[in-house]
Amino acid sequence: MTSKERTLAALNHKEPDRLPVDFGSTAVTGIHVSCVAALRGRYGLEKRPVKVHEPYQMLGLVENDLKEAMGLDVNGVFGRKTLFGFPNENWKPWRMDDGLEILVPDAFRVTKDANGDTLIYPEGDLTAPPSGRMPKGGYFFDTVIRQEPIDEERLDPEDNLEEFGPLSAADLAHYASCVREASSSGRAVMLGMSGTAFGDIALVPAPFLKRPKGIRDVAEWYMTTCARREYVHSIFSRQCEIAIGNLQKLHEAVGNAVDAVFLCGTDFGTQSSSFCSKETFNELWFPYYKQVNGWIHKHTTWKTFKHSCGSVDRFIPSFIEAGFDILNPVQCSAANMGAGHLKSAYGDRLVFWGGGIDTQKVLPFGTPEEVRAQVLERCEIFSKNGGFVFNSIHNIQARTPVENIIAMIDAIHEFNGARAPAA
Amino acid sequence: MADLSKLHDAILTGDSKTAVAVTKEALAENADPMELVTKYMVPAMDEVGRRFECEEYFVPELLLAARAMKGSLELIRPLLVERGAEPAGRVVIGTVKGDLHDIGKNLVASMLEGGGFEVIDLGTDVAPDKFVQAVKDRNANIVCLSALLTVTMPSMKTTIEALRTAGVRDQVKVMVGGAPVTQQYASDIGADGYGDNANEAVRLARALVAT
Repeated sequence: MTSKERTLAALNHKEPDRLPVDFGSTAVTGIHVSCVAALRGRYGLEKRPVKVHEPYQMLGLVENDLKEAMGLDVNGVFGRKTLFGFPNENWKPWRMDDGLEILVPDAFRVTKDANGDTLIYPEGDLTAPPSGRMPKGGYFFDTVIRQEPIDEERLDPEDNLEEFGPLSAADLAHYASCVREASSSGRAVMLGMSGTAFGDIALVPAPFLKRPKGIRDVAEWYMTTCARREYVHSIFSRQCEIAIGNLQKLHEAVGNAVDAVFLCGTDFGTQSSSFCSKETFNELWFPYYKQVNGWIHKHTTWKTFKHSCGSVDRFIPSFIEAGFDILNPVQCSAANMGAGHLKSAYGDRLVFWGGGIDTQKVLPFGTPEEVRAQVLERCEIFSKNGGFVFNSIHNIQARTPVENIIAMIDAIHEFNGARAPAA
Repeated sequence: MADLSKLHDAILTGDSKTAVAVTKEALAENADPMELVTKYMVPAMDEVGRRFECEEYFVPELLLAARAMKGSLELIRPLLVERGAEPAGRVVIGTVKGDLHDIGKNLVASMLEGGGFEVIDLGTDVAPDKFVQAVKDRNANIVCLSALLTVTMPSMKTTIEALRTAGVRDQVKVMVGGAPVTQQYASDIGADGYGDNANEAVRLARALVAT
């Protein structure tokens, strides 16, 4: 099978020739730039600084030579602009606080504050208030909350809709070009859609906007989902309308060359519980997810990908009913998210894209043998009858020992019965 | 005459306006501020915590209740200070060095405040020496450390070591929490307690000050 065929088999709940593997095709299945650099070194690839294609989490671009070395099956297609609102172009050198030399886009413009923290600016505009902060010695950015005072009488959902609008001709041309290139390798194609994330807390603060209005504070947004539901409905319903218009244009531009589309990264789970009840989910989010998934399944062959960290067992039946095909990152370390339970309860209807190795304890702090053991166990549980694409539980974090990442890859190859590539 | 049960209910339902209004009315009628805390505020927040633990309430409800409680406490606190009222304990809380995440930490801080503790919130990205200084300056007896990242968890251990080096480790009980933190990790780094949710933090703090 080609990588595309293998991945499609898994997405259609058929056993492929071997387990398909993804690292780097989305902003939630990636690898920190420092670990990409370490992997390149370990695999003996051409020495060159790694590009940071996703600057918020400082994810490194997994280029084709590394994909070959690791045996990866999926190519990612990303939007024209990053989370800080600037495009990935005109690469320039930059040095992390620990001395690692990397490449960043030209509009990745930063300053240091008195503490030595790195501040980054929306659209690279140094005259705007910074929208991201990386603590001194840190490895990625957190959003800087820029919340204007809230006047309850004047709250206007339009202020939370500023970032949602029709895809431009430039956006569509970008997607079309990237999908063509991604398809040419024989790998599966995962497209990261913009505008279909409903209340994603990474996006609510709008780090890509220069002066966001509306409700942009994280805690205030969570309270709004409880105390200002009409406001949320006003945003989501208009956002949904725009999203469906965009999906239509996007499909016209890229056709069915796309295999899966990453729709939404809104986190509904916490480590031990969730951010809302199932009833709240069904009232606030379900109708919009159903519409978007409905359009996609009616008009395209794309599979739809839902990311949600944390304990989400209570929502999975609703995710399935809303039409999602794929769940990520499959946080087995969270409450009620045991691998065996998930596969037996939902495995015939949901693809697990993730879950392959724990990134809170085992991958960063375990031994290579512990990594191998868990990978083999998870592959055994999740891979039956397809429905599994191997990825770690969310991005591989900075300071994860490269020996452990190699142990993970070797274990996947061991499970697949292939000889591991030299590392 | 202020209906003080409305203060309890306003906090429970996250109604900041009513919580503040009833508190103002009660204080204008010379209500005992300590009684407002112990008979109405603390029980309300205890019920909020109970509902959170049995998953009737979630983070949004907790945040709303905390906001209502804080609105009321802001009016009451100066009077408590005036009367020399002693809190249940003095807690220094912060997210450790290198980590900017604060929602969980803020919830724990609010629940502890609602539980009758004095809380000194150092914010996020807090260096070990800042924890040490706050313990000394405010005569704290509890330190709460929060971390959300695997790369910042080691700062918890560093902070505990800093407390020891500064000679104040025995003065405080150290509680740790955050998504990647576990009981095992807490034991490994010499913490006195670990909680996996905000309500458990209050129970733990009460138990630790009693020892």
